[in-house]
Amino acid sequence: MILLDRVTKTYGKTAKPAINRVSLHIEPKEFVILVGTSGAGKSTLLKLLTREEKPSSGKIVVGGIDYDSLKDKHIPLLRRKIGVVFQDFKLLPQRTVYENVAFALEIAGMTSREIKATVPKVIELVGLSGKEKSFPRQLSGGERQRVAIARAIVRQPKILIADEPTGNLDPLHSWDIVKLLEKINRYGTTVLLTTHNVEIVNKLKRRVITLEHGKITSDQVSGSYKQ
Amino acid sequence: MSRGGKVDARTFALKKRRRRQWLTFIRMCRYGVNNFSRNAWLTIAATAMMTLTLFVIMMTMMSRNILLDSVSEIRDRVDMSVYVQYDIDKEDVNTLKSNLESLDDVKRVTYVTPEVARSNYAEENRDNQRALDALNLADAKFPGTFRVNLADINNTSSLTKFTEENELYQEVKDEDRPPSFAGDKREAIETIGRWVSFAEKMGLLISIVLVTISSLIVFNTIRMAIFNRREEIEMMKLIGADKAFIRGPFIVEAVVYGFIAAIIATGLGILTLYLSGPKLEAYGIIVSNTLNSSIMYIGFVLPVMIVVGAVVGVISSLLATRKYLKI
Repeated sequence: MILLDRVTKTYGKTAKPAINRVSLHIEPKEFVILVGTSGAGKSTLLKLLTREEKPSSGKIVVGGIDYDSLKDKHIPLLRRKIGVVFQDFKLLPQRTVYENVAFALEIAGMTSREIKATVPKVIELVGLSGKEKSFPRQLSGGERQRVAIARAIVRQPKILIADEPTGNLDPLHSWDIVKLLEKINRYGTTVLLTTHNVEIVNKLKRRVITLEHGKITSDQVSGSYKQ
Repeated sequence: MSRGGKVDARTFALKKRRRRQWLTFIRMCRYGVNNFSRNAWLTIAATAMMTLTLFVIMMTMMSRNILLDSVSEIRDRVDMSVYVQYDIDKEDVNTLKSNLESLDDVKRVTYVTPEVARSNYAEENRDNQRALDALNLADAKFPGTFRVNLADINNTSSLTKFTEENELYQEVKDEDRPPSFAGDKREAIETIGRWVSFAEKMGLLISIVLVTISSLIVFNTIRMAIFNRREEIEMMKLIGADKAFIRGPFIVEAVVYGFIAAIIATGLGILTLYLSGPKLEAYGIIVSNTLNSSIMYIGFVLPVMIVVGAVVGVISSLLATRKYLKI
């Protein structure tokens, strides 16, 4: 599902690489946790996957798409196949919960009928029924993250990338969000989660990849993490 | 059979694509209008700046028009005088008049007879006893006068040539009075002419400067409005919206700013002219022509203002979003 082959990313010509010859293979339907301290290269790795950044060298293939042959004009199409959830939610502040989720389908050109049939189901899946007309500012942090997750999965992507989704949440809401990600994974979506939260990593008992100074230092099938 | 099937499939795919494009267009418009109504402060700021710009554009255009009207009024009043002997034949007057009228650049020729000139002089100096006494002297004879209005008061070459070369004129000219454009008045007339053309050029320059400055202010306001929403643009990019879909609502929003601002600015412009008209006319500034034509051609003026507003808005948002739409 995700394949990285000796990928290096250097910002500027003389700087130390943010990602240094990283090779990685993630199978379909896997739940993988990416851990590492700040500056270890997690964000760069995710940016390479969403094609916000181009690698300095190496090969990336996601969902069968080889990034080397990907033209700029096709990047939006790639991004529609990957669901992304961010630490700061990145919701549209002027739009309601329903509109935020529907937006992901509208950009793909789906009809209003299809949108009306899909969006309420996803809102229900993330546990936000009844909040469709609320604006993001009227929701708690946990609820906002649920909206972001609903938006990320409404197009039924094969891959869901969650970049520190619990970073701004209290432990109770954090665990709720993680459980939601597990539920999505059970439906068949590959989940790549980055987190600092030791408790979550150790409780989940999933594959844990540790990044340090841009390199993978450990890759455990049922791993744990110590800060 | 299979060929027919292929054609059908292609038509179906084309129809589907068109439907999607139409749907996308409708959505972009809806988002644009939503953004307009949901960002109250930004909307007010951007619409106000756009109104100001369009008002400046309209007023500079109108001022230029008013200047041209006033200038042409002044020009009409400035006439060149060609003097002939007081006892000239009527036939010679007619011949000279038609000769003058046939010259290039001559707009109008009127002949003032010595009798009329005399009574005009008496009328103008009715409070001046010494001037009236002088009129009664035996040798106080007035010449016949051709008053010549030129299309361009700076260009007196054909009239000069006429006074130098026309044979009939040489016979009947008043030896004591050279044509006024060639004498003392010439410099004054040329100075007026130079000022008029300077004022026209300056007017154009000032218009360009004002329009450029106010367009830059609008651009900056829209840029700030878009800068405030850069994270939104970032997010749209990351969930797979293409550039046109991200840009579309901003463009629609700018068109709405332009539309509303055009209506307000046009109304304000006409109201300003209407209210200031009487005072300006008292100074000899001709406002009524411009005001009347603005009202008469409102069906043309308003759409032009709307188009100008929309174009300024669209260009501003295209430039402002470009920065955030890089991959």
